[in-house]
Amino acid sequence: MFKKKASAQKGLKIIIVGGGKVGSTLIQQLSREGHIITIIDKNAASIQELTNLYDIMGIIGNGASYSVQMEAGIQDTDLLIAVTASDELNLLCCTIAKRVGNCAAIARVRNPDYSQEVSYLRDRLGLAMIINPELEAAREAARILYLPTALEVNPFAHGQVEMIKFKIPEGNILDGMTIATLGQHITNAVLICVVERNGDVHIPSGSFQLAKGDVISFVCQRSIARSFLETIGIKTNRVKNTMIIGGGKSAFYLAQQLIQMGISVKIIEINRARCEELSILLPNAIIINGDGTDEELLKEEGIEYAESVVALTGIDEENVLLTLHARHVSQAKVITKINRISFKDVISQLNLGSVIYPRFITSEAIIAYVRAKKNSTNSNIETLYHMFDSRVEAIEFRIDRESAVTDVPLKELSIKNSVLISFINRNGKIIIPGGNDCIKVGDTAMIVTTHEGLVDIRNILR
Amino acid sequence: MNTPIIRYILGHVLRIEGLLLLLPCLIAVYFREEQGIYFLLTAAICILLGAVMTRNKPQNSIFYLKEGCVATALSWIFLSIFGCLPFWFSGEIPSFTNALFETISGFTTTGASILEDVEELSHCALFWRSFTHWIGGMGVLVFLLAIIPMSGGSNINLMRAESPGPSVGKLVPKIGSTARILYGIYFGLTLLQIVLLFLNGMPLFDSVTTSIGTAGTGGFGIRADSMAGYSVTLQWIVTIFMILFGVNFNFYYFFLFRQFRKAFGMEEVRGYLLIILASVAIITWNIRGMTAGIFDALTQAAFQVASIITTTGFATTNFDLWPQASRTILVMLMFVGACAGSTGGGIKVSRFLISIKSVICELRSYIHPKVISTVKIDGKPVDQDVVRATNLYFVTFLLLFSASVFALSLENQDLVTNFTAVAATINNIGPGLSQVGPAANFNFFHIFSKYILMFDMLAGRLEFFPLLILLHPTMWRDLAANTNKKRQLSKFNK
Repeated sequence: MFKKKASAQKGLKIIIVGGGKVGSTLIQQLSREGHIITIIDKNAASIQELTNLYDIMGIIGNGASYSVQMEAGIQDTDLLIAVTASDELNLLCCTIAKRVGNCAAIARVRNPDYSQEVSYLRDRLGLAMIINPELEAAREAARILYLPTALEVNPFAHGQVEMIKFKIPEGNILDGMTIATLGQHITNAVLICVVERNGDVHIPSGSFQLAKGDVISFVCQRSIARSFLETIGIKTNRVKNTMIIGGGKSAFYLAQQLIQMGISVKIIEINRARCEELSILLPNAIIINGDGTDEELLKEEGIEYAESVVALTGIDEENVLLTLHARHVSQAKVITKINRISFKDVISQLNLGSVIYPRFITSEAIIAYVRAKKNSTNSNIETLYHMFDSRVEAIEFRIDRESAVTDVPLKELSIKNSVLISFINRNGKIIIPGGNDCIKVGDTAMIVTTHEGLVDIRNILR
Repeated sequence: MNTPIIRYILGHVLRIEGLLLLLPCLIAVYFREEQGIYFLLTAAICILLGAVMTRNKPQNSIFYLKEGCVATALSWIFLSIFGCLPFWFSGEIPSFTNALFETISGFTTTGASILEDVEELSHCALFWRSFTHWIGGMGVLVFLLAIIPMSGGSNINLMRAESPGPSVGKLVPKIGSTARILYGIYFGLTLLQIVLLFLNGMPLFDSVTTSIGTAGTGGFGIRADSMAGYSVTLQWIVTIFMILFGVNFNFYYFFLFRQFRKAFGMEEVRGYLLIILASVAIITWNIRGMTAGIFDALTQAAFQVASIITTTGFATTNFDLWPQASRTILVMLMFVGACAGSTGGGIKVSRFLISIKSVICELRSYIHPKVISTVKIDGKPVDQDVVRATNLYFVTFLLLFSASVFALSLENQDLVTNFTAVAATINNIGPGLSQVGPAANFNFFHIFSKYILMFDMLAGRLEFFPLLILLHPTMWRDLAANTNKKRQLSKFNK
């Protein structure tokens, strides 16, 4: 508790409007990073709870009100993040903050009505960022369905590099192979960054031996991913059809993208009016009006033959049960959306396949922005991602001056344990580094590590 | 319960006390007094023990309200026990009970003394006696929060347990910055008073001890006649600063940040000043015949009212000899106390405001049985929980007060003595009336009564609940369970 500050840097002054699930995730993460946070919410009880738990100031009131923002000290605030349940309120909060405090502002906007206009809104209102968790969740689901063997696909460096997570099946050639052999005999364009075995995460060295059942994450250029997976004997065909259960906002976004990719979509939604809306919005999708938790209905609609099933209802428990059911009756690739963040470790043991947490996606994106903003002046972290339940950090460092790390072949650097340089981006060219490559000034280098709080590329050295 | 974290906090508190004990050592060096060696010895003990206790950083750094309360209560008990050692070692206060009484009286900013003759003490002991007021006034855990960066937000529980007032809030989002601002204001005001007193002709040593005694609203004087020997100008300066230190520190924060409208709009501060004005007016009129003129009456009345309402306890005159109306007003002011969020004790003006307003709400509900009305302070609704806690505070106060008066009555002193002795200690004032009046002291009490009064002082300073929770059986069970577990573990390891 009496933690010495990692550095003398002062945190940003941040106002968060809305203390819901995303709000509290943001507070948890940002207050740990030493930012000075004020939370505004209408609900006195949730303010009470949050101020008891974290070292923050709580203000009860309407975040879009001028006087409340003044009370929160908007005038010397660096950033306002509006994550209330209402899109319009979020935009209003940001607009007022912009006028009064002249600070950066981030709004969460979820309604598809605005989703087409996001960039227009952002530019016109002068916002730093508009985040749409449902759309992001849908994008992630679409990426997974495009490469169904993967549990997760994360794009880096503007989509040039992908980090792909999958589980080594029984009888695969990777079973029993060391990382070094993989590099020598199969391909060196692929780098295995993280291995999760029996709940522990490892950053593997060359002598690490893979085994069946390991969940591994590897990076490679986007173009290579598919051929690599085929080489090691894993089918990479994208799915041809998808059954989406639940017709909410993320279902709409997902269906839209899948149809563009040429995948046929069937949506099951219980609310008739919503079904009619969807049928107008998505003329190429099959919209079924019925209860997605009705076993007979699912059977009738052919869940057994579906190639993929995505559970996107608003209720986590239903999503989990639906996924387990789908796994039981079919061979389909399944994706589950989980809204709540609690009980995460139980959920990860359930063998649900791919799980999507929209709230994490939202908070991760915002936190990445905050870090970049904080670091833009006094550090050189470009982006920072959390993986494997925040146990692993992937940090993109900008190398803007010479140091002990630059111009030395990687094999000659004495790098800490559990630190891995996963790729180097040199003027848009991606290098998956081997021992002879070196980091140069002007590069960005992605570090994967289980250590926390690396703030400079030089921290990777012993 | 998370005992390692409590041990860790206690260790830090001891280390801080050890460092603070070095100040009287410097005084001793300056005045060439050999008593300084005992302060040095105690300082060494505290620092060593503190270092041992803080050596292992606890794994689990989360603590909840109960840990906050227990840590606070134990910190104060530890502080007092170690703080009294120099008096006892040096033999300046020969009995341990008396030394402890004097120290608790110091840390809780009470200022009730057992010394027959203050002027016999060495300079360093006098300084330490007054300095305990300064430490206890703002609170040692707040100091801890100010200087030691802690991550995690649950340490608000420490501040909540130590700071007086019905609802403790933060000035700025970070608790560490809040604590630093509070100490900054505290230190600044103290320094200002020292300078003003010194410029108006008070000797430097007297200015320092008087100022730190005023700042903590303590009341230990370094002369037998308290403040009576100083000039009228000096008395007025002390009067004004006593009143200033009884104001809610949020007032100064708003003031510093030029939010004057907010500062002067604080209902509590207004109420507090109004009570002072009214009391001074009545007493001045009441005692005008006994004094050398109307201005003298005003000087005396203002000084005594400020001294009692802020729970400081300095005296310029023996107000025990005043007419009944004035004495009664002073006794009532003992219970009112200063503002919440100040260094003063007592029940606090804001609690009275909340209670009076909830009585008005209750009355209204007799006229309109279905009416919904909320208690508001500064235009903001007061949470129902705060109102409830305030009412409970009154009940607890009454119970503890009656129990203490009864316990003291076993000694067969008169009721005024017992009543005001308890009132003066539980409200952290110092002098009472009759046998514990400003010209007397607490030494004649039996050892048993002294411990009762010590408990009252601590309970009053910490506002009861943090101290009372120590007496709750669950706490004992928790502590016992933890040590048992440890014992089993160590057996297992063998």
